[in-house]
Amino acid sequence: MKIKTGIQKTGKIIILLVFCVFTVFPFIWMVLSALKTKAEVMDVSAFFPAEFQWQNFYEVIFNSPLLKYVANSLYVSAFTLLIQIVTGAMIAYAIVFMNFKGKKVLFAIIMGTYMLPTAATYIPSYIILANGGLLNTYTGLIISGCVSIFGIFLLRQAFMQVPAGMIEAARIDGASHWQILWRVVCPMTKSSFITMGLMNFITCYNNYMWPSLITDTDEKMLVSQGLRKFFIEGGAYGTEWPLVMAGSAIIVLPLLILFAFTQKWFINGIGGDTGMKG
Amino acid sequence: MKKRINIRKVGSVWLFVLPALIPLIVFWIYPILRSVYISFTDWDYMSPTYNFVFLDNFIALFKDDRFYDALWNTLVFTVGTLVPTIVLGLLLALLMQKAFKGSGIVKFILFSPWITPTVAISIVWTWIYDPDTGIANAVLEFLHLPALQWIKSSETAMLAVIIVTVWKSLGYAMIFYLSALEKVPGELYEASGLDGAKSWQRFRDVTLPCISPTTFFLVIITMVSSLQAYDQIQILTQGGPSGSTRTLLYMYYQLGFEEFNMGQATAVAIVMIILTVLLSAIQFTASKKWVHY
Repeated sequence: MKIKTGIQKTGKIIILLVFCVFTVFPFIWMVLSALKTKAEVMDVSAFFPAEFQWQNFYEVIFNSPLLKYVANSLYVSAFTLLIQIVTGAMIAYAIVFMNFKGKKVLFAIIMGTYMLPTAATYIPSYIILANGGLLNTYTGLIISGCVSIFGIFLLRQAFMQVPAGMIEAARIDGASHWQILWRVVCPMTKSSFITMGLMNFITCYNNYMWPSLITDTDEKMLVSQGLRKFFIEGGAYGTEWPLVMAGSAIIVLPLLILFAFTQKWFINGIGGDTGMKG
Repeated sequence: MKKRINIRKVGSVWLFVLPALIPLIVFWIYPILRSVYISFTDWDYMSPTYNFVFLDNFIALFKDDRFYDALWNTLVFTVGTLVPTIVLGLLLALLMQKAFKGSGIVKFILFSPWITPTVAISIVWTWIYDPDTGIANAVLEFLHLPALQWIKSSETAMLAVIIVTVWKSLGYAMIFYLSALEKVPGELYEASGLDGAKSWQRFRDVTLPCISPTTFFLVIITMVSSLQAYDQIQILTQGGPSGSTRTLLYMYYQLGFEEFNMGQATAVAIVMIILTVLLSAIQFTASKKWVHY
């Protein structure tokens, strides 16, 4: 019996180890390749660089526009997120705490749009932005992304845990809905706001297809599109793999560090555990 | 007096609903209706005029081999991503169910691909897949397996794209299952344990039914996101070689934003929407049989 559980335990460890290696390997390979010379990177037998080529990172940080793209993405994501939180919290509040005609229809419409392929809306949305002269502007990007359906769901779920009596009591005290939302409901559902903030920030920051259709000048490019440009630019004389890998590492590593510190909020959001803790 | 209060009340409802509803209408609902309209025209984006061609775009689409290839590729990609993601995600969750020393780190590692930008990691994978100098073939050689052309051959390109997609979404499925497993009531296990149920039987009769709502949810989510996969295809293969990784979405992108054939492109979009609705409806109906709430 003891031997059997021993075998099981070893098997479990081996399986998990294989998956971890498979998952983490691309990241390690990215960093190792970023630290190699161009000759080393082409030689498969050279697993480790003979000498760490830190100047690859220096080159990308100081002599390429990559950090500019990062700043662009941070700017757009921050604004988009801020508006998403306000619009999402308000409509979730209305759906949960207010009584009005057509509430069910409204919620059904929101549910429906959650499942639909977003890309199916891109051609008409593109035309709308073009007609408004908003192509290649951050305003266009931000207003077209200022509602997060996922966020509405998450907040609605959390708001439903707030006892209705608390809202009524605050109403009797003469508080307006706006005040109740931000002074009563928001503090009680703080963890869901944090989860939504992090998840939507990542989604927005990593977004590629829609921004790449809207922005086409170098100054306005967001990080994914900029990285792709950096990647294909060298194509003519063979990709500069060490520099491309250094560029990818500079984009990916800060996100991994951010994630290391905020893991529990992501896991809460995904696990659907959005009760009123914290 | 009463009327004034009502107006104020209705006013505040609108005030809370409209900031989200207006963008939702302008950038979601109207575009979908507009797509239906455009799909009945031969508009090419550049010219100010266009003709109404009714179903011609759809008829042309249904006669086009490219469309059936894309439909097939979409199916292969969806099933090829869905099955491993769900099966392996559940396997990992089962192994991780009991916390052990270092389980936090394992969780962190397995989930980390999900938060990284698809474009950046697809570039890394492009490098891994390089047939001559990539590490993927070095690993195959080490295992005494024949080298593959990966994204350079129409035979293996789809497999390569699927591997990247599964790599990215595996941890996500695992986290979902982990929290579902936590919620399986302990007394159910005890009850079945008293009956002397074997662990496989216990898994089949207790665990699987208990987590079926999660499986159902994951099937829908993975399906919808597979239908919309773009980033990794754009970076790894651009739909090639010779159309072997061109999914419906990628075909839509090429028709709309490369060929400016807006009528045909929106026709593909309509097909995608109908497919999503159909698949979801089938799932919901079928779920009544196998999902236990």
